[in-house]
Amino acid sequence: MTWKAIVHSAMGTRHEQRGQPCQDYGNYRIEGAYLLGAVADGAGSAKRAEVGAKIAVESALEAIAQELTRSFSIPLHGPTVPSYEEIEAIAPALFTTVFEEVLTALHREAHEQDHDLRDLGCTLLVLLATPDWVAAMQIGDGFIVLRSGEAESYQLLFEPDKGEFINETVFVTTEGAIDYMDVGVQPCKSPFLCAATDGLERVAIRLQDWEPFTPFFKPFEACLTQLPDQQDRQDYLKTFLESERLNSKTDDDKTMLACLYDRDKQEGL
Amino acid sequence: MIVGQPEFVENPENRCPVILLVDTSGSMAGGPIEALNEGLKTFRETVLEDEQASLRVDVAIVGFGPVELVQDFVTIDQLNPPQLVANGLTPMGEAISFALDLLESRKVTYRANGIQYYRPWVFLITDGAPNPGSPWQQAAQRVQMAEQQRKLSFFAVGVQGADMNTLSQVAPPARPPLMLNGLDFKSMFLWLSDSMVRVSSSTVGGDMVALPPVGWGQITT
Repeated sequence: MTWKAIVHSAMGTRHEQRGQPCQDYGNYRIEGAYLLGAVADGAGSAKRAEVGAKIAVESALEAIAQELTRSFSIPLHGPTVPSYEEIEAIAPALFTTVFEEVLTALHREAHEQDHDLRDLGCTLLVLLATPDWVAAMQIGDGFIVLRSGEAESYQLLFEPDKGEFINETVFVTTEGAIDYMDVGVQPCKSPFLCAATDGLERVAIRLQDWEPFTPFFKPFEACLTQLPDQQDRQDYLKTFLESERLNSKTDDDKTMLACLYDRDKQEGL
Repeated sequence: MIVGQPEFVENPENRCPVILLVDTSGSMAGGPIEALNEGLKTFRETVLEDEQASLRVDVAIVGFGPVELVQDFVTIDQLNPPQLVANGLTPMGEAISFALDLLESRKVTYRANGIQYYRPWVFLITDGAPNPGSPWQQAAQRVQMAEQQRKLSFFAVGVQGADMNTLSQVAPPARPPLMLNGLDFKSMFLWLSDSMVRVSSSTVGGDMVALPPVGWGQITT
């Protein structure tokens, strides 16, 4: 198993001042050759956004694992993984189902807890990756950046889904949100992947041309390749996300999921 | 093994544009214009207390006795509040159109420089009625249209003597004009700065930003 991943959510200083909880959430699973990951940013205006974000992430991970096997007969721990062409063909249907499952889970929670669905509003970014390709979806803002082990530079998968104004975005619970869902599939050998909520956008992406800022991402890749201990890798991310240096640049909640497929390890080098 | 720290890209601050569209016609002379000038200083000082807001709130001031760009867009930390002088008539329609054009050109500048921005505010303050012949209906139509398309938030404030009937036709139905309590511009500007601080620190779900309660004016019907 040579996927390595770290994930952490840190509360924004503005939320702390207002006594709001951290409304971001992120998680991942490593299943055979697959990396499944998701991050969500609860809407500041939604009353139970932190609950919505967690449910969205967990139900997305579960849905993607289930759906690969159930609808596409792709066993997670099978001997081979689908080719890029095969995943490209099924990705739109796969992520549409994932979206529907997430929405169903949110509806269920809203019903059981007597919330309005909008009280659970959040953005959602989902990743499905193998050593050869990356498939992803995004609703609302936040970003997914990737680098193929064979490429020099980092690439932003989707331009942020913003309205004209910075403080307006689409949420999973927005009516017709599915129409705003970006789905992308890319061939990517030994990927480095980073999915994050919009709290990190200003420090990681040059907004003029949506270029990922290499000196921001490189250290995370170094962390994943060079720190031998998972706890150290995880602590590196946590320390960074909670640092004063970062908080002076952004006062929003921020979540980052960083993953790397380390082919060297597999080949025993 | 030591791993270096991530470096940050330098992006320009987000901007939160607001145009103060103020009646500087002759009838504002004396107490009203003095209170307004004092209010502007309060506005600056209060926003300055929030460092982030002072870099984000981007204010322009348009006067109308004759329509005049008193202060082009500038962030609060750079603002030197002008001394408004009252004279002339009330070309309200021309002034509103001027402000809307000014806003559009500001947005072009933002976009060209990769600056992200919040929904702009236009804040009209008047103590009178438009000049006869001032194309205020056309201006009102532009305001209503822009509001409908959620392109801006328009606020109208009447000072004693204002033609509230006209103002209520200019202001969007969802946000009727307010009558200022006496000459309490200070409270109004405190409210405006508090609102701007809230908006400029908001992240997602923009129009859900809860504005502070209005303690400085009444809705007249």
